[in-house]
Amino acid sequence: MLIVGALNYLSRLSFIAFFARREMPALLARALKFVPAAMLTALIVPMIVTPAVAGSAGVMPRVLAALLAALVAWRTRHEMAVIIAGMAALWTLQAVL
Amino acid sequence: MRNFLADPDFRAGFREMLPANVGLTPFGVVCGVGAAAAGANLLGALGMSAIIFSGAAQVLAIQLLASGAPLLVVVLTCFVAGLRFLMYSAAMAPYLRPLPPRWQQALAFLLTDQAFASSIRRFDAGANPRAGAMHFLGGGLALWSWWQVTNVAGFFAGNLIPASWSLDFAVPLCFLGLLVPVLRSSPNVVAALTAGVAVIALDALPMRLNLIAAALLGIAAGTLTDLARTRSTRP
Repeated sequence: MLIVGALNYLSRLSFIAFFARREMPALLARALKFVPAAMLTALIVPMIVTPAVAGSAGVMPRVLAALLAALVAWRTRHEMAVIIAGMAALWTLQAVL
Repeated sequence: MRNFLADPDFRAGFREMLPANVGLTPFGVVCGVGAAAAGANLLGALGMSAIIFSGAAQVLAIQLLASGAPLLVVVLTCFVAGLRFLMYSAAMAPYLRPLPPRWQQALAFLLTDQAFASSIRRFDAGANPRAGAMHFLGGGLALWSWWQVTNVAGFFAGNLIPASWSLDFAVPLCFLGLLVPVLRSSPNVVAALTAGVAVIALDALPMRLNLIAAALLGIAAGTLTDLARTRSTRP
């Protein structure tokens, strides 16, 4: 547990400490701008479409509810509204489909 | 401590993470349930959530320990699951550079998906280092404290919530609320689409390496789009 925690912490600290005293190459700085978009998407997609995660109700209601939640996120920029709309949509779709 | 709590940026960061805390509650409860099921005592469960402070690593560690995997496998798998922190660390580095090392070390401990996504947006919008750091600290502490509460709740209460409620879906929803505002430019959209397709296509990779590989492909695609765009707009 301590080893896992320590490695986790070192990962988090690594480049913050490394680039604290060094200049970052321009291309790397440019590429790092895309970390949020790419990493968040890679985390989200399996949580929605993996059948084992979806259970007996299947993947379809989750995909549709996620699309609706994305639309709410786009229009409102309000995170609580995204969670409420997404959960409400999922429950409705699971009951209907 | 008191001047932290009165700081407007600290408070703003703290408040901004409250919806994320709601979304992550089922995840924290699952981690607590898992720790109890694996036979950990309260101190072990709380130590894990307080020190590791990463839902994915906690779930993996619990599953592997319960299945009797060798310690080296547990450590390695959790390290691979945490590889994305290397990327977050690199992306945060330029913004945290003006801060004293003690601040960098403290904030690094609180670096999570949610705190990263929310504070990088703040820094990109032009927050000064001190305000951005306070915002990060407020958000990070909000996430950390609530994470302990949900883990302990799961440890004691167990799986009271039926799986048919699909509360696990709140976790991707909370990430979605962070992702969508990032997709303002076409290179960002390309990066997200590439990562989304790649993470499914590379599903067969071991140790969930598809997550990090997909993210790297997405970053490459976004960067190439960005470079092509600036080249074409130049006369």
